[in-house]
Amino acid sequence: MKKTNLSMEHRNNSWIRGLLRTVCVVALSSCMVVGAQDSPQDTLDFQRQLAPIFRDYCIACHGPEKQKSGLRLDTLEGLLRGGESGESLLPSHGIESSHLLQRLRSTEDGFRMPPEDRSLDEAEISLIERWLSIHGKQATQVAADLERSFDHWAFQPIKRPEIPHQTSGLDNHAIDSFILQELGKKGLTLSPEADKQTLARRLSLIILGMPAPLEWVNDYLLDDRPEAWEKLVDRLLASPQFGETWGRHWLDIARYADSNGFETNRERKTAWPYRDYVIDAFNQDKPYADFVAEQLAGDSLGRHQATGFLVAGPNDIVKSPDISLTLAQRQNELDDMVHTTSTAFMGLTMGCARCHNHKFDPILQSEYFGMQAIFAGVQHGERSIKDALSPEQTQHLKEIELNLISLEREMAAWRRKSRQMGEESGPARRAPVSPRYNEESFAPTSARALRFTILASSNAEPCIDELEIFDSHGTNIALASEGTTLRASGSLTGYEIHQLKHLNDGQYGNHRSWIANTVGSGWLELHFNKPKSLEKVVWSRDRNAQYEDRVVTDYIIEVMDEQGAWQAIADASGREPLVSSSDPKAFVHHLPPSDQSVVLTLFRQKESLEAERRSINQGTKAWLGFFEQPEPTYRLYRGDPSAKREIVQPASPGFHAPFTLDNETPEKERRLQLAKWITDPDHPLTARVMVNRIWHHVFGSGLVATPSDFGRNGLAPTHPALLDWLAQTFIQHHGSTKSILRLILTSRTFRQSSQPDDKGLDADAGNRLLWRFRPRRLSAEAIRDSILWCAGNMQEAMGGPGFYLLDVQSENVMHYFPKENPGPDTFRRMVYMNRIRQEQDAIFGAFDCPDGNQVMPDRPESTTPIQALNLFNNPFTVVQAASLSERLKKEAGAEVEDQINLAFLLVQGRTPDAYEQTISLQLVQKDGLAAFCRALFNSNRFLFLL
Amino acid sequence: MRETTEQRKNIRHPLLDRRRFLSCSGSIMASMGLSHLLQADGHLASSSKPSTLSTQPIRPIIDPAHPHAARPVHFPAKAQQILMIFCSGAVSHLDTFDYKPALWRHHGKPMPGADGLITFQGEQGNLARSPWAFRARGQSGKQTSDLLPHLGSLVDDLCFIHSLTSETNTHGPGENFMCTGFTLDGFPSIGAWTTYALGSEVDSLPAYVAIPDPRGAPQSSVNCWGPGFLPAAFQGTDFNANQPVRNLRPPADVAATSDRRTRDYLNHLNRYQLKTHPGDSELAARISSYELAARMQLSVPAVSDLSGEPRHILQTYGVDSPGTDTSTTNLKSAYARNCILARRLIEQGVRFVQLFNGAYQTGGEGVSNWDGHKTLEKQYQVHGQIMDQPTAALIQDLRQRGLLDHTLVVWCTEFGRMPTFQKGASGRDHNPRGFTAFLTGAGVQAPFSYGATDPFGYQAVENIATTHDFHATLLHLMGLDHERLSFYHNGIERRLTNVHGNVIGDILL
Repeated sequence: MKKTNLSMEHRNNSWIRGLLRTVCVVALSSCMVVGAQDSPQDTLDFQRQLAPIFRDYCIACHGPEKQKSGLRLDTLEGLLRGGESGESLLPSHGIESSHLLQRLRSTEDGFRMPPEDRSLDEAEISLIERWLSIHGKQATQVAADLERSFDHWAFQPIKRPEIPHQTSGLDNHAIDSFILQELGKKGLTLSPEADKQTLARRLSLIILGMPAPLEWVNDYLLDDRPEAWEKLVDRLLASPQFGETWGRHWLDIARYADSNGFETNRERKTAWPYRDYVIDAFNQDKPYADFVAEQLAGDSLGRHQATGFLVAGPNDIVKSPDISLTLAQRQNELDDMVHTTSTAFMGLTMGCARCHNHKFDPILQSEYFGMQAIFAGVQHGERSIKDALSPEQTQHLKEIELNLISLEREMAAWRRKSRQMGEESGPARRAPVSPRYNEESFAPTSARALRFTILASSNAEPCIDELEIFDSHGTNIALASEGTTLRASGSLTGYEIHQLKHLNDGQYGNHRSWIANTVGSGWLELHFNKPKSLEKVVWSRDRNAQYEDRVVTDYIIEVMDEQGAWQAIADASGREPLVSSSDPKAFVHHLPPSDQSVVLTLFRQKESLEAERRSINQGTKAWLGFFEQPEPTYRLYRGDPSAKREIVQPASPGFHAPFTLDNETPEKERRLQLAKWITDPDHPLTARVMVNRIWHHVFGSGLVATPSDFGRNGLAPTHPALLDWLAQTFIQHHGSTKSILRLILTSRTFRQSSQPDDKGLDADAGNRLLWRFRPRRLSAEAIRDSILWCAGNMQEAMGGPGFYLLDVQSENVMHYFPKENPGPDTFRRMVYMNRIRQEQDAIFGAFDCPDGNQVMPDRPESTTPIQALNLFNNPFTVVQAASLSERLKKEAGAEVEDQINLAFLLVQGRTPDAYEQTISLQLVQKDGLAAFCRALFNSNRFLFLL
Repeated sequence: MRETTEQRKNIRHPLLDRRRFLSCSGSIMASMGLSHLLQADGHLASSSKPSTLSTQPIRPIIDPAHPHAARPVHFPAKAQQILMIFCSGAVSHLDTFDYKPALWRHHGKPMPGADGLITFQGEQGNLARSPWAFRARGQSGKQTSDLLPHLGSLVDDLCFIHSLTSETNTHGPGENFMCTGFTLDGFPSIGAWTTYALGSEVDSLPAYVAIPDPRGAPQSSVNCWGPGFLPAAFQGTDFNANQPVRNLRPPADVAATSDRRTRDYLNHLNRYQLKTHPGDSELAARISSYELAARMQLSVPAVSDLSGEPRHILQTYGVDSPGTDTSTTNLKSAYARNCILARRLIEQGVRFVQLFNGAYQTGGEGVSNWDGHKTLEKQYQVHGQIMDQPTAALIQDLRQRGLLDHTLVVWCTEFGRMPTFQKGASGRDHNPRGFTAFLTGAGVQAPFSYGATDPFGYQAVENIATTHDFHATLLHLMGLDHERLSFYHNGIERRLTNVHGNVIGDILL
């Protein structure tokens, strides 16, 4: 389209008019007064000055109708905010750095704006440039202070809502009041209370992740007092299985696993201290603020294990000389930390702002990098834990010291005995073989060949760097240059430095040596070009004194006479055993064999005590990350590591009293500041997000159904007032998870029946208003744990290294195969199963079990025939069914009816009715108890929470 | 533009509970077809072309009792099934389908402008021509190498894309990228996306089958057929002609009659206990899943049983064909059996079949996959022999049976290789800047060659097609709009193509 001079003039006039304006209407979208002291010329009259140009060229794509790439140019705010790229359109350093001017002036198709052939002419661009150079600096400040729209509900302060008045006659439980209020609006009410057996099973599986002991359930069933329920709730909340179950929920959010992921997928054998920390935190009911702060900065707060959170995600260890790969890997690691931290604690999807400003939430790309700068010094890897010693550890250390002293006394006695025996042992023995130099001398012997047979070596395949044979003139006749030829039993191949020819080349050292191809044995033959008179053989492992391994310790030397007969002339007899002079065990060799084993046992005890002392004193290494003071962080255009833009300071996102730190801030301090900011009681997101997670794990769905996204793209709370009331209560109870749980679990809302009714289904099929307890399938962990518990096979040991349900084939890249017959060492709670990224357990993986590659705040709940095949046919179920049938016989007596009764109680948490008894009896009679147990482990009443 | 709450209600429960599913679809579903309802719901554009009118995400509505029930396409398309043949380890385009005469002229000379070029394993040696001659084949005269003569003989039916690019030069991330659209772990595979979108026409077999190489899994292993954050229902079921579906058979020490009675009892008990929860979808769905599992116990062994395949078929595919090296012959034979299995699965209507050639766990760096870093000629001789004839026979067999009328066949790999040999070696390093894949069957042009790399084959220069473009095109061929097919996860409407991808219109029929 051709531009006319007329329109140019028009725009020119409006520009001048704009500059001459003395009064400016203050309105964010059209005009902004920078300061009262500024002269009228300094006002940013966007509408008059720039808008006309943009209107002609840009508004069709970047205006009120369309905002391509998220950019609007019809308002000053839009210009200041920029588009999704995160590039400020204003100059950041010097007018030429303006992204707007760069795009307008570019000659590159696809980058130049406007696209096609509608480019602005230089006069128009100059106008914009002038405006920017006059107002750009002020505008940049304005942009920085520009109040973004934080009007979304989740950014508002948490309110203390009034508890609605209720007339239902229920005992005024606050939660019920809130729920009834919303139900009432749809003409609904709570369902009747579920029966006691159903409630006990529901509660057990939610709190313990497995059934509660039968006696506890019985106590509850037989107790008609109103407080019986609360008693059971408290009993279960105090059980250690609570932490194992609720810790697992948190580990989903922390994308925890026991391998690195990516193609090598190596095991992370020391990740578990973080897993144990999480379980313990829930069991101790650690105040939530501490739980958050320790995971971000536990190294400064005396809880080192907690920082496993930062590095629990996958990391790619395949490095390449290609620098762009390395930079991209590091960006992915940091993104994982930013994303996990912001979603886990704040329900804020900051990861979406990595390449551009967040499309839905008020998060700028620069803020994403501000957050990245906080974590920029965190590296994946192990760190040594040195926590202060507990009283138990101090006591244990004392015991170790005492034991060590008594061991030393015993050994001193043995040393004395050894010295006496050594003095009595008769003729002086020869020196032991040495890695450096050995010789055997004998009376001059005429020979055509010499054979050196190796009978033993200190370790591995023996190595000799040079073998010399001296004649009566002191000449080394072994040398190849003397015409001697060489044969050997076999030589280790593939090493330039280890060759047979090195043996008699006159050069010493490991790099000119020979190694046999058999462990601890081998032979060498040196054939002379004519019979020679021999007097001495000399050999060594490494005459350059670098290597002490692979030493020949036992040998025999033979010579061949002129008739071709072999005859031994020397061997290793009489030599002291090969020991290094500093070996504290050297004295043992003088003792008789029976005493030797006693002393060696003492040594083993000593070593193990010393190792224990070391580990207590020094701490142990664990996958908790390590920290380095980082280089400055840059904003990356489109998230591309090769497109660095301005330096970004460590900072929080720009809401709730945001903070910015300078670039010299110590690494630790950055994370501490962030922890402080997130755990501020007035932070609008932290408490809301956590109480919603608690609600989610009780009812299967949160009040906010997108538990890690409280932003505009997430779903709004169904009960905003209840959410705030719970959040306030949580804060008042110092972030006690158990307090909130106790509140929820004692509500009638929790105790209502799960049975559907038409009225409810019609009005609210998805049960968002909670007119019933929605039935849901047990998690993979709850199914496996419950089976083991029912079968009586559950090992209760808590914590420590995990178990494998996969066999590990260890190479450069790890391969994992399902174990054929996992033994009793795997009969622990599934939270202790080593979770391998990408590799799911062969039975329970199909039950939507996350593998830790992604943050998983809300597991899908799918139903597939593969699940059915796995659970019905796998040997695990059959083995456990057999165990259960044994248990039934033992505990229920000989009557089949009693056995069936007990089976239903254990597996389904209920007493069978007459019909169920009858059909079960038929199966037991035909196919046995084990077949019946196998079926029960597959029954809906077992697999579902009702 | 924002969706209404109503439109977003399946965010939390992608597997809609059955009651809601029925209340949303109603009894009219059978007569009207679900697509009308989706249209009414604003989920589907009424146009038969990919609509530009709506950009609303499409999240398929899934019946939890039948998560694999067939679901409507976004717009009509010829392809209803996909067979993806994935060659793991990065097949060299320069030794197979991308003929570069300049490599013969400049053999042994440094690549111009590549001074100090560092690739995955380090420095480059000189340009190296392919050890295999190229020759014109078919009516079209397309030049392909002697390494793969059987596939070469099919050139008139193939649609090559020579200008593919990847975002990474590392195998694990590269295989993730080609299979899931993301270099990171944990994203749904293209097969999972496809079955999530479309379900399956057949209910006695898995909707999505992955057939691993006889030697084991590819480098990024089960990621290639994983569900990522999609419900586990959309995971590929992995089995091949040698390794049946895990847990398919009843336990060894349980008699068949007893097994059947146990299952009958379970079914009976479940149905009886369902009485307290009439109309509860999730409970009913689980009962159906056991019934489907029972059907699969019959149908999977049946489809995997190749004993009825006639001799000439076995021969054409190369089962037990003579070879100089027995181990290669055996591997070829095992792979050929997998190819026959793939055909049988397509024949049975399985929506997405993913056939793998090459494995990592029995030997990386080119030993048992296409990663020819050091001794490319020797290693490719083996891989070519294994892959060529069975794959070609599979494509031919599908065509002869008329299955290509509605099946799209995709042959691909994670990235390409360098035109140079590595410094001090006789093999090629990784090269994500340009590589080749081919398509054949429903909906694509043939013979056709799209895009090109530079004269040395180092980087795509003409009609550059990113892997996102490639995915967008595959979904398009299946009647799916890659910009709208989505799943809400952690705050983002996730798509196979992330926020990228353009359908390669030129190759469509």
